[in-house]
Amino acid sequence: MYALFTLLAGACQSAMVSLNGMISNYLGMFGMSLAVHLIGGALLILYMKTFTHEKLKITGMPWYLYSAGFFGIFLVVTSSYCISILGVSFMTCISVTGQLVISAVIDHFGWFGVPQISFNRKRIPCFALILAGLIILNLS
Amino acid sequence: MAFVLTLAFVNGCATVISKMINYRCTKVLGTNNGSLVNYVVASILSLGLLFVSSRFNIDFYSFAEAPWWMYLGGAFGIVAFIISMITLSHLKVMESTILLLVGQLTAGILFDTFMFHNISLKKILGIIMVAAGIIWDNKVSASTKPADPQPLEKAESSADHI
Repeated sequence: MYALFTLLAGACQSAMVSLNGMISNYLGMFGMSLAVHLIGGALLILYMKTFTHEKLKITGMPWYLYSAGFFGIFLVVTSSYCISILGVSFMTCISVTGQLVISAVIDHFGWFGVPQISFNRKRIPCFALILAGLIILNLS
Repeated sequence: MAFVLTLAFVNGCATVISKMINYRCTKVLGTNNGSLVNYVVASILSLGLLFVSSRFNIDFYSFAEAPWWMYLGGAFGIVAFIISMITLSHLKVMESTILLLVGQLTAGILFDTFMFHNISLKKILGIIMVAAGIIWDNKVSASTKPADPQPLEKAESSADHI
């Protein structure tokens, strides 16, 4: 049951980026980002007030953590731009590959204070398979 | 084309860094408030950028012109966030990562087919190979990692993909 819902969550993410791509034709990139974040934020507040009954609090963090919002904008803008050219599934494949590669790099060097985990060579064939898939995608 | 491909890759890299930042926000403020920060700051910044990019002449008519259902993107994002927060504690990290990916790609193929009309058998083959590679990599990494998973990783597979 939880597995089914997690699948659904993945599908929602794809629905989100597809819709964002479409609405940016009307609102432009920053208008789209504003609409998405305003609506998302309002719904999150609604959820917190009705279901979890939490107090809203967004102050008291080290200043650099507020860059989360900057990344939020960068991510919606770049993903909707890429999707308009590559399509949802191709974009998702490249983006997830990027996530895998950067995670491996961050782990290998122990950046940002994460525990250092050296790159495991057994992962190379997996990366080769992903690369082969991406090449086929690029040719199609 | 090379630019778009690079940008898509950078998007993935930024996703990880953004999730690490979001994770630290949730450590300070709790899961929901920590995510709310992202929305509040991003809304304010977007409004500023919209003002500047439109030279203080926002075309509000275009906001009314867009079909209402296109505004559901933000809602889908929040639904995805809430579901993955709730289910995360009941699934292994690897399971939820793979399930999210499969859900994303399956829906992605459907949207590409019916809305963007740009799907082919070759493309599906490529997607299956990439997905297989990622799932395989997850298994290899999981089998060689210390038994106790890092909490950071747990958050990384869950944070919102917005």
